[in-house]
Amino acid sequence: MNKKRIIIGGILLVIVLVAVYGWYQYTRTVQGLTNVRADFSVNATELINEFVSSEDAANKKYLNKILAVKGMVKNVEAAQYTIVLGDTSDMSSVRCVLDSSANTTAGALQKGALITIKGAITGFNKDETGLLGSDVQLNRCVISN
Amino acid sequence: MSFLIKKGIISCCFVLMMASLMAQDKYFTKSGSIQFSSKGVIETIEASHRSVTCVLDSKTGDIQFAVLMKGFEFRKAMMQEHFNENYVESDKYPKSEFRGQIVNNSEIDYTKDGSYTAHIKGKLTLHGQTKDVEADGKITVKGGKLLAASKFKILMSDYDIDIPGSVTQNMSDTINISVNCTLELLQQ
Repeated sequence: MNKKRIIIGGILLVIVLVAVYGWYQYTRTVQGLTNVRADFSVNATELINEFVSSEDAANKKYLNKILAVKGMVKNVEAAQYTIVLGDTSDMSSVRCVLDSSANTTAGALQKGALITIKGAITGFNKDETGLLGSDVQLNRCVISN
Repeated sequence: MSFLIKKGIISCCFVLMMASLMAQDKYFTKSGSIQFSSKGVIETIEASHRSVTCVLDSKTGDIQFAVLMKGFEFRKAMMQEHFNENYVESDKYPKSEFRGQIVNNSEIDYTKDGSYTAHIKGKLTLHGQTKDVEADGKITVKGGKLLAASKFKILMSDYDIDIPGSVTQNMSDTINISVNCTLELLQQ
């Protein structure tokens, strides 16, 4: 009798645990990056160069990683929540789309300021027209200093 | 000698003029947005992208879009992971592109403020598959900028994207896509 109870109790416990875990996975939202440690810390211009010289190698190294990118603010597109990092003499940039929770700080940034942005790299958009410049893109960005 | 210099100057002027003329035909953005949704029985799957590149040549009507698949943002983490790993396989196929043309480009006056309907035909490459796509859109000319918007549907099965049997109930094969871009004149 007692043994049976333990078995039934055990089965119920497993079912509950599985359900809780499943529900947790199902409702889990994409986490903010404020408290996540970056996998790589790089300079904006060096990052661009790595992708320009070998897109495949750079993709392998960086994709699905969190990057802290240090660079000069080239432009702030406040309406698009985007901060553009890089050298003004080069058409290519690192384009960082801010996390929706960090929107308020975009407008306060000055062109020419040196900042570090932490974000999830989404890849390299190679420009085939020769008019726009190729860009490394990051999203879910937060300004880390 | 002076003839050569003169000729050089003239051809330089000509090249510069051509370049400026060409530049004034093109509009672009690097921060266009795309939303997509798929209505299932239990819930709607939605995602958005805010770094869409678009180039439009007002002279020829050529229009191009490029989007990095990993840049689609979902509210639910699990959906985002499944989207990247199982559906579009973004490690293998990182980029999606559309290359097409505004068929009725001559009906659009890019120099005059107003709203125009654009019929677009082209090729969409997604998940390594290229298919013909047709869509209607609206181009609004306003103060030298273009607001381009379009809604169209694609089928996942056209692009070799399989839906696992366990989730067919929660996903439809039809994906509704909505594109919104503000294009600026390309200055060089």
